[in-house]
Amino acid sequence: MSDSDASAWSNEVRRALQGYAEPLLRQVATRLLRPRNQWPVEELIDRCVAVMDNAPVIDRRIKELPAESRRLLTFIGHSRQPQWRLGSLLELLAGSGHAEGPAPALALLEAGLLFPAPVTTPPGVATNRLKTFEQWLGQGTVTGFGVFTHPAAAARAIGEDLGLPECPGAVPASSVGVRPAAQEADGLEWLLRMSVVWQRVTAASLRQTQQGDLFKRDLERLRDDPLLSSPPAEALAEAPNAALLAFSLARAEGLVKGQDGEFVADRSTRAVAKSLSAALASLFAALPTLETWNPIDGYAPQDAGASPYPAAYLLALLLLAKLPQDAWADPAAVGAWVLARHPYWSAEAVRPSRLTNWMPAFLLGVAYPMRWLQATKSTDGNWLVRLSPLGRWLLGFAAPPPETPTFAQTLLVQPNMEILAYRQGLTPGLIAQLGAFATWKSLGSACTLQLEPESVYRALESGETFESILQTLEQHGMRPTPPAVKDALRTWSNKRERISVYASATLLEFGSPEDLNDALARGLPGVRLSDRLAVVAKESAVDFRHFRLLGSRDYALPPERCVEVEADGVTLTLDAARSDLLLETELPAFAESLPRSSSNGRRQYRLTPASLAAGQAGGWSLPALQTWFEQRTGQGLPPAVHLLVSGADAPPAELRRRLVLEVATEELADGLVQWPETRTFVEHRLGPTTLAVAEEGAAALRAKLESLGLRFESTNSKHESP
Amino acid sequence: MNPPARPNPATRIPVKLYRRVALIQTEDAILAAEILARRKLAADLVGRLTDRVLLVRPGRVDAVIEELQRMGHTPQRIDERD
Repeated sequence: MSDSDASAWSNEVRRALQGYAEPLLRQVATRLLRPRNQWPVEELIDRCVAVMDNAPVIDRRIKELPAESRRLLTFIGHSRQPQWRLGSLLELLAGSGHAEGPAPALALLEAGLLFPAPVTTPPGVATNRLKTFEQWLGQGTVTGFGVFTHPAAAARAIGEDLGLPECPGAVPASSVGVRPAAQEADGLEWLLRMSVVWQRVTAASLRQTQQGDLFKRDLERLRDDPLLSSPPAEALAEAPNAALLAFSLARAEGLVKGQDGEFVADRSTRAVAKSLSAALASLFAALPTLETWNPIDGYAPQDAGASPYPAAYLLALLLLAKLPQDAWADPAAVGAWVLARHPYWSAEAVRPSRLTNWMPAFLLGVAYPMRWLQATKSTDGNWLVRLSPLGRWLLGFAAPPPETPTFAQTLLVQPNMEILAYRQGLTPGLIAQLGAFATWKSLGSACTLQLEPESVYRALESGETFESILQTLEQHGMRPTPPAVKDALRTWSNKRERISVYASATLLEFGSPEDLNDALARGLPGVRLSDRLAVVAKESAVDFRHFRLLGSRDYALPPERCVEVEADGVTLTLDAARSDLLLETELPAFAESLPRSSSNGRRQYRLTPASLAAGQAGGWSLPALQTWFEQRTGQGLPPAVHLLVSGADAPPAELRRRLVLEVATEELADGLVQWPETRTFVEHRLGPTTLAVAEEGAAALRAKLESLGLRFESTNSKHESP
Repeated sequence: MNPPARPNPATRIPVKLYRRVALIQTEDAILAAEILARRKLAADLVGRLTDRVLLVRPGRVDAVIEELQRMGHTPQRIDERD
């Protein structure tokens, strides 16, 4: 357990205790600390957290516990995983012959050596402080009965007798036969496959269903991946859905995480270089959390939350720890024992299909490639297993084994950009480094990777540099890196320098080039964009004591109205106080800057047929212009602009001569339109007092009007009476 | 040891600040023109701030990077954490 791990779990203990109501907290603290004084709540919590690292006190408290509670804590200690589902812990107790129900766990909770696991509540939902542990058990559907202990406390419980029998199916070494040599995997198989998963998810994130599962298409993409579904080089039995086991392990190890409805690759974890023992110990500790995969069904997310396998895995490994020195065990016999005693498989209602002895698939297909086990073949050709030195250390039965020496020079970089990686020199750190900048092509006793522009670009995005990539190749290469490879790496790296995209930067506009020079000289961490503009990626790095703000504008907010449309509809006047760079950058795309500003000194632009045509060619469509005018001027597109943009698309216009009759009042016009004698001469009503009249009927209409006594004047001599 | 000299407020440099701006800076003006001429990017680019700097429409950075990659470029994304 690293110091950072212990500190993280101490924080969890603190958080759990802060969630207790004061009477419950005092009750637990009384059992854990035996305080002589009435400490304030915060101090009581501090003391409870601190006592977790106090081995003599923890030892005394453990001794005071009932035997079943001690066993429960011991199981947690052997697992290296401080957080378990309560159901799995009770299955472990039942499997070892002690089916007492939740009483042993309650005793641990009351003793301050076990805590309810944190529950994520939606924002805004208040959480009540815990008054009794019975109350917490009543909320089990919400919490899933998750519990945790401090790893330092669990480690102190190791050594307690778990009540397990001698390992079933034990075979003495003397009877193994002619091939007694112990066989041990290199432990890299699943680490390599997790690296492949990481690459696949980096290339294209996977969508997450509402239940946090994979969509069918992504599931099939992973399952059918030729590299991930290839048989492992070192496994002695096939693990079903190996690709999805690798995915589940990558999730458990944080290489892949759920984020905004997707599974995404976590780039930050790639930099963590662990020793092989530490990496395999981390995978061992992840075993109880591996609930979406099992050795019968392969990928089975529906079992998450109630999976019986985590308890069964630990029972099997602890049984192997009971093997006499130099003895081996038959995986099937271990499986038969577990199936007969684990409450899930020993229940009467269990379906026959569930009773398959899956233990050989787990021990030979998963645990053996993890290097937790050694294997050998019996005289009848069956595989036998026992714990490896690493496995004994992981379970807390032995000191850590020495690290296997690795060969630093293990890569063969070829001029065709292919890298041959011999496994005996690979380490978790090197796997992570190689996976970051080259694409895995095959996994075997020698693995191949391909250097590609995309893979190098991905590495550069993650913080690698041309120099760091080359250094890895040189450091681990059996021969100097070929010049062609160096040139390609340099070209790809340089190409990336050609375009920089600032996703959310702060732009500083200075009044003069001298001001910008002064700011840079005073240490402004910016990049010069022009003689008056500089950009900084991180505003918090700017020392604002050097600057006087004339104004600020947030581009994530909607644009401001800062443009006035003149009466002609095509001349735009800018309000300098409210205008911004965005405006002055987009306006030239569809308007021409006027050399002379308006009478009050404001800058002006004019929309012309040519400028609008250029704008349309550059993507400024009519709807885009309409949106722009609404945002910037607060009104719709002026008719004049509409005319210039869409006039050409309108139906053909008709230009013709027309005779217009204009009468004195609206009523007269109404009368002419209504009276049948005159109605036939009216073609259109043009306005309240104006009517369009057919030229050929003009004389007849005039006669009618004169017959009514209506005086008549005409501006056109052609239609005047002789 | 003397404390570090504090800048004199009287000599503060006047500056206008534009926050959360998305932009592209290219190595040369020709590259900027090439990007600006890309029809698929037209709706995502506001315009040209300088001969080597293009302003990106707010919220369109990811789409712009994807299109640049489709053009065969390998743009360097600079975020706040950088």
